[in-house]
Amino acid sequence: MSTTIQPERVLRELAELWVTLGKESDPGHSSGVLRACAMTLITLVEESEDPSDVWSTMAALMPEHPSRAIVIRFRESATRELSSRVFSQCWMPFGHRRQICCEQIEISASDASLPDLAPVVLPLAVADLPVMLWCRSARLFSLPDFPQIAKIAHKLLLDSSAFPDPPEILARIQGSGKIVGDLAWTRLTRVRELISQIFESRNYLARLADVAHVKVTFGGNVPPTGAYYLAAWILDCLESAGAHPRVDWEPVLGDPPGQISRIELSSAASDGLRLAICISGESARQCAEVQIDSLTTHTVFPPDNDYVLLREELAIPGRDAVYERSLARANKLAAEKK
Amino acid sequence: MKIGRKNHLTRFVGAAQGERQRNGFVTVISAALVEPCDKLNNMPLENPFQDPLRFERRIPECAVAIFGANGDLTKRKLLPALYRLAYERRLSPGFAVLGISRTPMSDDQFRASMHDSVAKFLEDSPFDEEVWSAFAQGLYYMAGDIGDPQAFTHLAASLKQIEDCRHTAGNVLFYLSTQPSQYAAAAKGIGAAGLAEGKGWRRIVIEKPFGHDLESARELSNELHEVFRESDIYRIDHYLGKETVQNILAFRFGNGIFEPLWDRRYVNSVQITAAESIGVEGRGGYYQEAGALRDMIQNHLLQIMATIAMEPSATFQPDAVRDERAKLLRTIRVMKPDQVLANSISGQYGPARIGGADVPGFRQEKGVDPQSQTNTYAAATFFVDNWRWAGVPFFIRSGKRLPKRVTEIAIQFNDAPHAVFGDNGDEATPNLLILRIQPEEGISLRFLSKRPGAGMKLRPVSMDFNYGSSFGERSPTAYETLLLDAMIGDATLYTRQDMVEASWGAVEPILNVWQNHKFEFPNYEAGTWGPKAADEMLARHGHTWRTP
Repeated sequence: MSTTIQPERVLRELAELWVTLGKESDPGHSSGVLRACAMTLITLVEESEDPSDVWSTMAALMPEHPSRAIVIRFRESATRELSSRVFSQCWMPFGHRRQICCEQIEISASDASLPDLAPVVLPLAVADLPVMLWCRSARLFSLPDFPQIAKIAHKLLLDSSAFPDPPEILARIQGSGKIVGDLAWTRLTRVRELISQIFESRNYLARLADVAHVKVTFGGNVPPTGAYYLAAWILDCLESAGAHPRVDWEPVLGDPPGQISRIELSSAASDGLRLAICISGESARQCAEVQIDSLTTHTVFPPDNDYVLLREELAIPGRDAVYERSLARANKLAAEKK
Repeated sequence: MKIGRKNHLTRFVGAAQGERQRNGFVTVISAALVEPCDKLNNMPLENPFQDPLRFERRIPECAVAIFGANGDLTKRKLLPALYRLAYERRLSPGFAVLGISRTPMSDDQFRASMHDSVAKFLEDSPFDEEVWSAFAQGLYYMAGDIGDPQAFTHLAASLKQIEDCRHTAGNVLFYLSTQPSQYAAAAKGIGAAGLAEGKGWRRIVIEKPFGHDLESARELSNELHEVFRESDIYRIDHYLGKETVQNILAFRFGNGIFEPLWDRRYVNSVQITAAESIGVEGRGGYYQEAGALRDMIQNHLLQIMATIAMEPSATFQPDAVRDERAKLLRTIRVMKPDQVLANSISGQYGPARIGGADVPGFRQEKGVDPQSQTNTYAAATFFVDNWRWAGVPFFIRSGKRLPKRVTEIAIQFNDAPHAVFGDNGDEATPNLLILRIQPEEGISLRFLSKRPGAGMKLRPVSMDFNYGSSFGERSPTAYETLLLDAMIGDATLYTRQDMVEASWGAVEPILNVWQNHKFEFPNYEAGTWGPKAADEMLARHGHTWRTP
């Protein structure tokens, strides 16, 4: 493996790639290749990860978030090593004559070369468009030189549920000073939306101030970051509606760690509001049963995978005030729980 | 005096907003307005769980009462759209549908029938049995005839029962998926049974045609207004619900670079084409009474023209947008009788052989009078009499049995004032902005570019934005968008009475002349781009029709 990468050379290779694609595509027609780009998406992965997983997520994201994708594969090594290759990904929408293509750059690097990466990646980012950095590894996020590469990103994407110590990672995210998209928070959108939908009813909305208890049931010994986020968001919303509920945590040792299986909102009065949402099933197909007073309904959640979560986060390049409020509150809850 | 909950809330919010607001709560100061129920007094003004950045717009609890529940529209469009909203988790937990038609049927039979229809007609979406079974719990049916007053008494009882068991809070959307001749009777029945007002909101949706001329449109509106306020009447125009028609507003008013070019100084002409490759497909009887001018131009295409040419509204509030559309429609120059035949073209397709198969002419279609004077093709040149558009022709055409199904708007800009690069060939190539509504939704801009190589030879190139491939996500169908809007109470994409009247005002003079004129039909062959006279109309203005 070589030790350096010349960004100029990578850019020249990309330009040549476009010329080749233009020549190859449908020479009889002027429709050609359509180049699409809305952002630069940098993904940091461990070398041990199956590259096809990452690239298939990228491919799925491209139609909705066309980007220059830069995947940096890290291996644990004290030697400074860097190498790169460029290629493109094209697709032909059904019934169309023209291919849509996006640029992809793969960089192989050692841990030791992390400080060298920022000057390489910076010129490779597409001008005038946001840079998103998706860190798929808790280990990489913890490397001392990580902030150097994080500095070039407008938004940092990570999944705090992969980190061993939830209170610690929540504190680090809040202390990072970056715009962060935490996939553990994104995973809650479906259930948050369901709760919100219930309180579109004026009947239930009118009884919101009576809510005295919030209970979050989760798998494993300690609340995962998602449980802290969810409780924090519910408490914030309830307080803005005049309620001051207590939060209870209920671990279920038999359930898979990290999974939130039940959320309850209840008032102290016997005839007051009672809302319970039970979530069951795998991430590919989760169902929720909503019990509110005497009414029970069922909802099927769409599949929950990296593509779905990333798609949502990439659509929000700026700050997300609801998330940031919930993060601050989740930190407090985690500190109290500790 | 007993104050109903709805009235009380309206007054409560109205009075309190100017008084004191704390932590999202309103403290009522006026003792006269205090509702006995403390919970309502403590109710937040807004749902605190909303997260507009991530959540889709949600539908409040309500019931939809569909008249004509056994009809084609319900099966093909309405129920698939409602199911899809359930699949997207947009509906409230107690959402309910009450189907009404003359055929006797139980709730379960109605559910079974709708199950098959939804599974068959669902567009670009999976059918999930589990979602269906939760959705179907909220489906109810009652047999009844719009002409029978007892049916409305029965309807009131059914809605009350649904309200009690599904917690729909008294909110009801009445959807008239019936013959237009039954609209007034249905509205009167609803009114007589006391269903036009109640604990929650009450709205009514009607489908086009909204009358067959200006007078009948006014008459229909008057009859509806005897029961419903104009703000509660939703006249559906499914073209306005299409994503790409809505995208016209985003394109014009969300970007800073196009609007400065959007006037008579830079725009040379506008062409709006809505072509269908199919014939009347068994609807000859209906179509014979309507024709292309009434069926397409009076409503869909004039609404598109209004969206293209309207002034920006100050806000995106429903009435602000609709005010601007209505203003534009009122400024369309009304043709004088002696101008009609020169500025409008009526056409009817004749038989032809397309793709190796014989295609009948309109007069050979089932249910059509062999001497029919119905227009299956209509084209018109409109002018807008305002400062922005003075002198710019808007060429509009729509027809059946044209070469392909396509709806698009072409905005042709003026040529460069001076040919710096000399003669560029025989054909002029002005800049062209194409807004494609269907089938390949998107936007293209044609401009000149230098050909590679020595010399300064220019050639036109097209820069494309393709809706489908730029956003891989499924777009909601027009009915999903419009039903959702009606349930939320957003009438932006619905047509208002003054808009209907203004568009009849532009079209009726043409109809009046055509009705008294005997056309030599058929005047175009199926599979061609319409009558020669339409080309001549544009030639008189120094233009030619584009070939989409």
